[in-house]
Amino acid sequence: MAAVTLPPASPTRPRTLVIGSALGTGAVLMFFGALFGLYFSRRADTMAWGSEWFPEGAIQLVPGSMNMATMAVSTVTMAWAVYAVINDDRIHSYLAMFLTAVMGIAMINQTVFYFNDIGLPIDHSEATTFLFVIVGAHMAMVGVGVLWLGLLLLRALGGQDTSRHRDLVSAAALYWYAAVAVYVVIWYGIYIAK
Amino acid sequence: MTMSETAADTTGGAGVVPPTSLEAAVTTTDHLVVGRAWIASGALFLVVSLLAGLLANLERLDLAGVGLFGSADEFFQFWSAHRVGFVLLAVVPVIVGLATAVVPLQVGATSIVFPRAAALGFWTWLLGAVLTVTGFLIDGGLGTPGSGSQRQAVALTLVGLLMVIGGICVASLCIVTTVAAGRPSGMSLDRVPLFSWTLLVAGTIWLATLPVLAANAVLAYVDLRGRPAVGFGAEDAIWEQLSWAFTHPQVYVFALPLLGIAADVIPVAARRRLPSHNALLVVTGLIGVVGFGAYAQPAFDLSTPVMTQALYVVEAFLAVPLVLLVVGALAGTLRRGAGNLGARPPAPVVLAVLSLLLLVAGTVVGAIRAVSPLDLLDRSTTGAQMTFTMGAALVAAMAGTLWWGDRTMGRVAPQGMGLVGGLLATLGVVLVAVPDTLSGFMGLSDFTGADLAAAGDPGGAVGALNAVAVVGSLLLLLGAVGWIATGVRRMKGAEASPDPWGGHTLEWATGPVEVTSERPLLDAMDEVGA
Repeated sequence: MAAVTLPPASPTRPRTLVIGSALGTGAVLMFFGALFGLYFSRRADTMAWGSEWFPEGAIQLVPGSMNMATMAVSTVTMAWAVYAVINDDRIHSYLAMFLTAVMGIAMINQTVFYFNDIGLPIDHSEATTFLFVIVGAHMAMVGVGVLWLGLLLLRALGGQDTSRHRDLVSAAALYWYAAVAVYVVIWYGIYIAK
Repeated sequence: MTMSETAADTTGGAGVVPPTSLEAAVTTTDHLVVGRAWIASGALFLVVSLLAGLLANLERLDLAGVGLFGSADEFFQFWSAHRVGFVLLAVVPVIVGLATAVVPLQVGATSIVFPRAAALGFWTWLLGAVLTVTGFLIDGGLGTPGSGSQRQAVALTLVGLLMVIGGICVASLCIVTTVAAGRPSGMSLDRVPLFSWTLLVAGTIWLATLPVLAANAVLAYVDLRGRPAVGFGAEDAIWEQLSWAFTHPQVYVFALPLLGIAADVIPVAARRRLPSHNALLVVTGLIGVVGFGAYAQPAFDLSTPVMTQALYVVEAFLAVPLVLLVVGALAGTLRRGAGNLGARPPAPVVLAVLSLLLLVAGTVVGAIRAVSPLDLLDRSTTGAQMTFTMGAALVAAMAGTLWWGDRTMGRVAPQGMGLVGGLLATLGVVLVAVPDTLSGFMGLSDFTGADLAAAGDPGGAVGALNAVAVVGSLLLLLGAVGWIATGVRRMKGAEASPDPWGGHTLEWATGPVEVTSERPLLDAMDEVGA
């Protein structure tokens, strides 16, 4: 059998979208890192003086835990979306992205409902200022993620999210996982530790 | 299933109306145009910020009261407007503009990565800059010590500041991604020119630190909008939370690209290779690391300020030898190639050398300021350190625009005029920063207000030093105007040759070049014995 000279492998396409998204997500994480750093520092100072941080019974664990469960499940559907796109499984990628977006909307809906009912004005104390800023900023982060997923769904319907063009889905997944990671800290720092 | 991606029709078919020049300017994604827009806008805001600085320095001539402004609060608004404007509306944007135009060419990318995002970053920053300046002008700003400002205007300033931060972050993201992922085959990261490398380091740290400033600003904004501000939004507390961005060590991160400008300009002019490109990559990276973490200074633990802790002091002292290492390497290159410079070295080389000297002065003042027994943290030495460091970055940016302007604008600039502007700016920086350093030792507060006790010894040398600083502010302003005039003259200049300096890096290439080292064009010249 005659030897066959294979053409050189095509150069690896730089994953600019994933790198750019990682940088952007890193910046967002630094934003939340600063808020959390200030939150825990001020909370420790306040409690060291024997003062209360949040008023007794003001923060309920159940709404926070429901949101945490919602966000946790959304990581599975997001990973499912990436897996489906890599395997050119169009139907499953639609379904997974749609479910992830729905869970993001549900999380925002639950948070808005709870904060309308919480009975703590934003200027009650430093703690409530932090509460509204951190939770509000996270809702905005999830909202951006939902919009991004909506864009991906439109692109997928147009046939653009395939295994050859999966970077946008991978980048969105990276951002979404970061949003979930931020919520883990919110869940612990605000709803559990109070 | 067929793919639906289609190439945009760029042929301009029948019936297609060409965009007006305004439409073209607003909708362009050409990195050269966007870069020029950053530089031009930054130059205009530079004049605004320097005017504010001149007025604030004039006020200090009357240390016993507030003569020029209506109150100490108004004085504070101009004083803080100068710092915010000089850093975030002038020097950093000019560097970002230079990078947007030059970095893609340097690393061999076809364009900047995410060109639409790069344009979005500029327009977001511009709108934010306009809102910030408007906020200051309508009695807002970043709070005042006497809570005498208009709360709505302060809120507007904070929104403007947030947009400014957002714009710079988006632009930095595009630049950093271009260096990280836009390089062609052969252009490994250790072969990236030093200007692009310093932008990679600085841009990454900007992306890590400016969101912290944004978090501070959001907290202040939300609290301010509440009925009685409970802490962060109290008008006398806002500046305290944001001031870390305009002092040591954050200013080192803002000024870091100046080392890249000098390291790209000097070897070409001296016709010599740098002794160790890789070592400079490491050292400039370390300077970026040393500059990280400024945000921990004011707010995290008020009972034990970070500014008196060991890490802060070590960082301040580490910056000096690291910068000296880079300066030493460049000085050696300059000395070995002194014969190639001619009787009149090119203007960018002169300005690059001056910017290095100013940076050394800035790091030395930063180190002295961190010595706790000297008690200089709240003295005018703080402003002097910022003026030295950001002034160095400004002079380097002037050198950069003179150096790369022929390539990015295609027109020749009057280099002599640019040199005069740069020299005036350098002299201005020295005449502002040296007196402020000395006054700090004599007890002059960073912001004196109408408090005579904070004014050091008005009867002694402080008053005379403040008068010198006024002259310095004026010279700095004249230098900036001279630099802008050089840019305007360039627009009417003769057509530039593609490589006026005999450059070593890809932005000067006129055809395909194989990248075999950090200086591919020099390799090509060596090969043919040129």
